Amino acid sequence: MTALDVREALPVTVTAARATGLRKVYGRTVAVEGIDLEVPTGSVLGMLGPNGSGKTTLIRMLLGLTRPTAGAAELLGARVPDAVASALPHVGALVEGPGFHPFLSGRENLRRAAAAEPLLASERIPAAVGEALDRVGLGHAADRRYRGYSLGMKQRLGLAGALLVPRRLVVLDEPTNGLDPAGTRDVRTIIGELHAAGSTVIVSSHLLAEVEATCTHVAVLQSGSLIAAGELGGLLDAGTSGLVVTTPDVESALVAVRGAGATAVPDTGAEPGIVVTGGPAAPEIVALLVRAGVAVHEARRRRPRLEELFAQLTEGQ
Amino acid sequence: MTITTPTTPTTPGGLPERTAAPLGRLLAAEVRWVFRRPRTLITLGLFALIPILIAIGVVVADEGGPGLIGAVAGNGLVLPIASLTVALTLLLPLAVAMAAADAIAGEAAHGTLRGLLLAPVSRLRLVGVKAFGVLVVALAAALVIAVIGVIAGMVVVGDADGQMVTLSGTTLGFGAGIARVALVAIWVVGQLAAVGAVALAVSSLTEHPLVVLASVLGGLIAFGVLGAIPALDWLGPWLLTSGWSAGADALRDPIDLSGLGSSTLRALCYVAIGLGFTVWRMQRRDA
Repeated sequence: MTALDVREALPVTVTAARATGLRKVYGRTVAVEGIDLEVPTGSVLGMLGPNGSGKTTLIRMLLGLTRPTAGAAELLGARVPDAVASALPHVGALVEGPGFHPFLSGRENLRRAAAAEPLLASERIPAAVGEALDRVGLGHAADRRYRGYSLGMKQRLGLAGALLVPRRLVVLDEPTNGLDPAGTRDVRTIIGELHAAGSTVIVSSHLLAEVEATCTHVAVLQSGSLIAAGELGGLLDAGTSGLVVTTPDVESALVAVRGAGATAVPDTGAEPGIVVTGGPAAPEIVALLVRAGVAVHEARRRRPRLEELFAQLTEGQ
Repeated sequence: MTITTPTTPTTPGGLPERTAAPLGRLLAAEVRWVFRRPRTLITLGLFALIPILIAIGVVVADEGGPGLIGAVAGNGLVLPIASLTVALTLLLPLAVAMAAADAIAGEAAHGTLRGLLLAPVSRLRLVGVKAFGVLVVALAAALVIAVIGVIAGMVVVGDADGQMVTLSGTTLGFGAGIARVALVAIWVVGQLAAVGAVALAVSSLTEHPLVVLASVLGGLIAFGVLGAIPALDWLGPWLLTSGWSAGADALRDPIDLSGLGSSTLRALCYVAIGLGFTVWRMQRRDA
């Protein structure tokens, strides 16, 4: 795609980004407190956390924009910040919102950014800028001044800047800020494409449904500390799971199950039923209900949604 | 939305992988950015008015007063030198400070400094590119005043033989006169480089461009006051502004280079200190 060679390319490492005991203190405020995190190559890591939980500070330290107070970071196998220059050409990032000049058009802004991209051959710049603009759906507004862009268009332009060159790692800090539903969907599509092409993606977001739909891994931060990290599926399974039983005989079902020592509540879903947590295993509960004469229409395991897991983790139960 | 992205850029027979964009491309992009900025163009346009206004003023007054501007009367080639000297006291340093303010503090305020560092442009190289951009602005401003000054001097003030009457009373031919103008213009750029280097240093400390303008303006005024206090004579050699009247020396015959030389040397010291501090600070700056 670009006129470049991989002869001296960085070796592909198993870990795209790594934080070891990263800590950042601003004055008396501890922004990030001893975070150990590994982002496997090829994964899509969703970084979650309430406002002020240290997501952006962690990202800035991983990218070498901020020096950590203690600890070490590694980006595509290169030490940050000393050797980060060898990794950054392969990294596209949208950090702390899009940054562009208001008096230039979107296209001119991107050309200026492209001129600084080491992996972009000079003759490729106009085409690469055009492709990036089309990819984020800004082709029609490319020659308007950035000053007149809407919040969502600015965000799209920032995304285009991260996609100027095929990247090994793309870091998106709150990419869906200010985007309309179509824009949010576009971001999800782009993340999917990057993932399919083998790029690693780190995306911080407060839209949990988005993260659940696009991510393979999750890291949850609170007050500067990492409180959970791992594969999305594994984390959800480890969360409070339950058995959902659809039945018209809610009352007798509750009595039967509670009698066996399980916790059960009426299901708040569309169909009448109960949600069972704890107690005997699922087959025993179904057998118990049948023996008690409860009409079981459906029984299925329920994984908690990411939203519930996130609430459990961050609200300290 | 249908472009697929390979993980690693591959095309056989290309260049070995780079970790920095070509320097020429960066410098060209910087200069293009500087001259696309509306305020740069407006400033340069206003600078073009300086020699024109002085020329009109001289013609209207129609008599040679004392000093450099008085010498312009009937002596066209003195106009660009007088204009440069007048502009150097405040307007030119202000324009250079503005460029330096936009170069680092302004980029930080827009969030574009982060983009450049992530590209990546190394921090050392960034200072070099920014210093180059500021120098280009100083050069363009001095050039505008010099060229418009020569033209306005020829057209408005005029001189039958296109000659320059020096302060020593002798006359120089057109070619020698132009050479004197060029010498002063280059000397002015040197002084502006000193202002620009210090302004860049301030710019690297803040993300508010106004702080840079205020510092440079305040510094110039403070230097002027310090230079005017007789008890502080010993401070003279350290003040950048104390050599700024040396431009008129180019109008003596034979030319007196001592003032121009020593002030240029002083300017180079300011450049070294200013850029040195900027580099030191940018290595540590959070973006």
